[in-house]
Amino acid sequence: MRPASADIIPRMHSRSLFTAFIAAVLLAGCTLFRGPPPPPPGPGGGESQGGTAQPGTAQPGNAQPAAPAPGTAAPNVPAAPTPAPAPAPRQFHLGSATSALVTQAHQQAASGDTAQAAATLERALRIEPDNPLVWIELGRVRLAENNPAQANAMGRKALALATGDPGAQSSAWHLIADALRARGDNGGAAEADRRAASLAPQ
Amino acid sequence: MLYLDHLVVKQFEGRRWTLPAQVYAAPLELYAGLPVTLPELEHELQRLHYRRADRPDHPGTYHLAGERVELALRPARFADETRPAQRLTITAGAKAIESLSDGTGQEVPVLRLEPLLIGSIFPIHGEDRIVLSPDEVPPLLPQALKAVEDRKFDTHHGVDPSAMLRAAWVNMRAGQIEQGGSTLTQQLVRSYFLSSRQTLSRKLREAVMAMALDAHFTKADLMNAYINEIFLAQDGDRAIHGFGLASQFYFGKPLSELELSELSLLVAVVRGPSYYDPRRHPERALARRNLVLKQMAEQGVISTADATAATHRPLGVTARPAGAYYPAYLDFVRRTLRRDYHEQDLTEAGLRIYTSLEPRAQDEAERALEHELARLDRQHKNHKEALEGAVVITSPQSGDVIAIVGGRDVGYDGFDRALDAHRSMGSLVKPFIYLTALESGRYNATTVVQDAPVDVKLANDKHWTPENFTHEVYGPVPVVRALAESLNLATVGVGLDLGLPKVADTLQRFGLPQPPVQVPAMLLGAVEVTPIEAAQLFNGLANGGFRNPLRAVRTVISADGKPLKAFPLEVTQVASPEVMYQLDRMLVLVMDHGTGRSAHALLPPQLVVAGKSGTSSDFRDSWFAGFSGSHLVVVWVGYDDNQPTGFTGSAGALPVWTRIMAGLGTSSWNAPMPESLVEVHIEYPTGLRAVPSCAADIVTVAVPADAAVPARPGCGLPEGASSTSAGLIDRVQQWLRSVVH
Repeated sequence: MRPASADIIPRMHSRSLFTAFIAAVLLAGCTLFRGPPPPPPGPGGGESQGGTAQPGTAQPGNAQPAAPAPGTAAPNVPAAPTPAPAPAPRQFHLGSATSALVTQAHQQAASGDTAQAAATLERALRIEPDNPLVWIELGRVRLAENNPAQANAMGRKALALATGDPGAQSSAWHLIADALRARGDNGGAAEADRRAASLAPQ
Repeated sequence: MLYLDHLVVKQFEGRRWTLPAQVYAAPLELYAGLPVTLPELEHELQRLHYRRADRPDHPGTYHLAGERVELALRPARFADETRPAQRLTITAGAKAIESLSDGTGQEVPVLRLEPLLIGSIFPIHGEDRIVLSPDEVPPLLPQALKAVEDRKFDTHHGVDPSAMLRAAWVNMRAGQIEQGGSTLTQQLVRSYFLSSRQTLSRKLREAVMAMALDAHFTKADLMNAYINEIFLAQDGDRAIHGFGLASQFYFGKPLSELELSELSLLVAVVRGPSYYDPRRHPERALARRNLVLKQMAEQGVISTADATAATHRPLGVTARPAGAYYPAYLDFVRRTLRRDYHEQDLTEAGLRIYTSLEPRAQDEAERALEHELARLDRQHKNHKEALEGAVVITSPQSGDVIAIVGGRDVGYDGFDRALDAHRSMGSLVKPFIYLTALESGRYNATTVVQDAPVDVKLANDKHWTPENFTHEVYGPVPVVRALAESLNLATVGVGLDLGLPKVADTLQRFGLPQPPVQVPAMLLGAVEVTPIEAAQLFNGLANGGFRNPLRAVRTVISADGKPLKAFPLEVTQVASPEVMYQLDRMLVLVMDHGTGRSAHALLPPQLVVAGKSGTSSDFRDSWFAGFSGSHLVVVWVGYDDNQPTGFTGSAGALPVWTRIMAGLGTSSWNAPMPESLVEVHIEYPTGLRAVPSCAADIVTVAVPADAAVPARPGCGLPEGASSTSAGLIDRVQQWLRSVVH
């Protein structure tokens, strides 16, 4: 039983597009987003967001702005010209269940039990597998376990999920930088640090 | 005598029952927001044999009050935590859990139900048991055993001469040995030290040894040993010993939760587990149970009123034995562990094994396979053999294998097709060819390739001239269409252009265990894989180009609760997110436009899924592998003797796949598009950029932002321009137009 998040998204038909667009804006305004609410969809409308398919943190409590499902735009959707505008910025956060588990993992790691911490974070990941913040937490534990290869891989995984969230992307690059440094790749680490800095909130 | 005394004491003191490893399913995590309805939640509780009660005072019971479930949780042991019994209140909304709180009203952010015991790893022809400590045994059980089997247990010295004389009298009259007259101690000796042959010398040995035991050990010790030792049922190769496992075997719940009528049945069965088998001989078992109740009342162990009330209760055994009913999954668990453990460790050391099995997904897969194969068989009445199939379900991001079905007879612990059927992967290979093509940088979804006759001269001077399934030739087609419609000639052309070693490398990167034989037929899937191997390959596609070793076992815990081995989550990036996203969007179009499109009739309308059919040569294998945001499902359908089925992947395996996906309550595939890609609308038959006003059949694909995608003439799009050239103003105007009309 997995949280269903984006599958409640309507298929866009031309007649309903405008209503859906308004709904998306309203929804975005009243979601549990921390930080600034996402700006309204660009001129491409709901359609242009189709590709970026806002994945939620899979926690149903953390509503995400409605976005059309990828690959289902045509043929009824009026073709806006490409390209899609830059994806709406968003900010991942942890749902309450995941947040409790991450706190527990921090305590376990602080008392030196990294294996338990990792097991607890795996529970969190099963609840929110698409949340890059949980992958970064697990990567940090791998680093503490002196496993920079897995720390790096989890940083990459987080990075792939964090598209559109500069804060999460920056954290993922920091993790990758630390992992590369632990492997003795100082050049790669410096480059990753540079990427992290360029994405960090000003 | 002295020797026997020594032997008995020595062995009994050092007694260590061989404890088969107990295997547990994944626990259900409860938290506010979990999309589960009240009836589904109740179903999960009943799966764990929680009982509805007016007041949930005892662990293992629950009470429904409107939207609220008041739950008395049993004590539970997890891999990382032991939790005492506790109260929990669950408030359910229409579609999801709204809140959880404990006995004091405090909010609980997340909590696991106890894991379901799904079986044990017992030695071949061996004993299976769960060992209980005295405090886990309800006090009524020893009293009942004494009342029925050995009234003088507390006072005799291991043997009961009066009972033996009585038995001897009966046996003499009958001319054969009919009655034992054995004390509990003698029964224990017989089960523990001796064969069960009924000879006089053996009876003598038994009596001497029983007296020795009695002299050296307390009655409480002997009673506890008896409760854990005695044989209570035979389940195929598995001998069920001890009341702890027997309770699970017959009632699916712990001994401490048994009602009087249920406990009496177990005591009744002691006398002859086969003769009084409550599943096979319910009348005999019922009569003996009622006799037991009567004797207990006579001995003052229970009141006559309670005995009478219990006499009117049904037997209450579950329809089928709990545990050991996921043989294909247990098979995978066993094989995983054999790499690290000796058989003896698994069958004797009392390990607890925590797995990723999700009973709900497993049940869904079993039902879907059985249902659809029966339907397909009816279409093929002339074939003498029944169709077979296999299913593997994973959670792509974690690599957890959550269900395995090894054949349509799911209770049969035999040929496990999910792990052992090596079959041609057929067109399941195509996504890996197009992935290789995207990686080369020379192809994208809109690239036009030639679906044209192929003639390859092989090393043996023979010619390889494959055909499309339709025996037609389609000419120039965009990549997205070649994949969606599984066009053989176009795919072979692309594969030959890339080179076989490149394609072979991609397959190995995604987890193909052996290097494939590099012949051109490899491009049409002349590569043998088992369903679990196909799942490993596709898991990487479902997980955005990250490979994780599929795992069934999460943790192994020793008998004394120490973690012995964990199989931690591991990921390895084997393809870039950019390439993966482009490919996965094309696999979504397989479902919307191509060989997977019949699935949408059964799936929730907004559910986004991606997948690929596979049909091997001569229709011998029908495959479908596809994924949502949270599940990968791989289905194989075929005949065991490798005869042609006449089904394509879409006709045979897809209906099974669809039924499973529809039943899983899964979430949409929803990966974020990497920033370096753009979406482009193209005319499906030609791959040209187009808008609905000028073309009928338009699909959306993702391509690199700098990819040049020619426009369809007459669409008012700048011809031959790159996909990024449309300006902001144009886009606003077009969007407004589209909203207005």
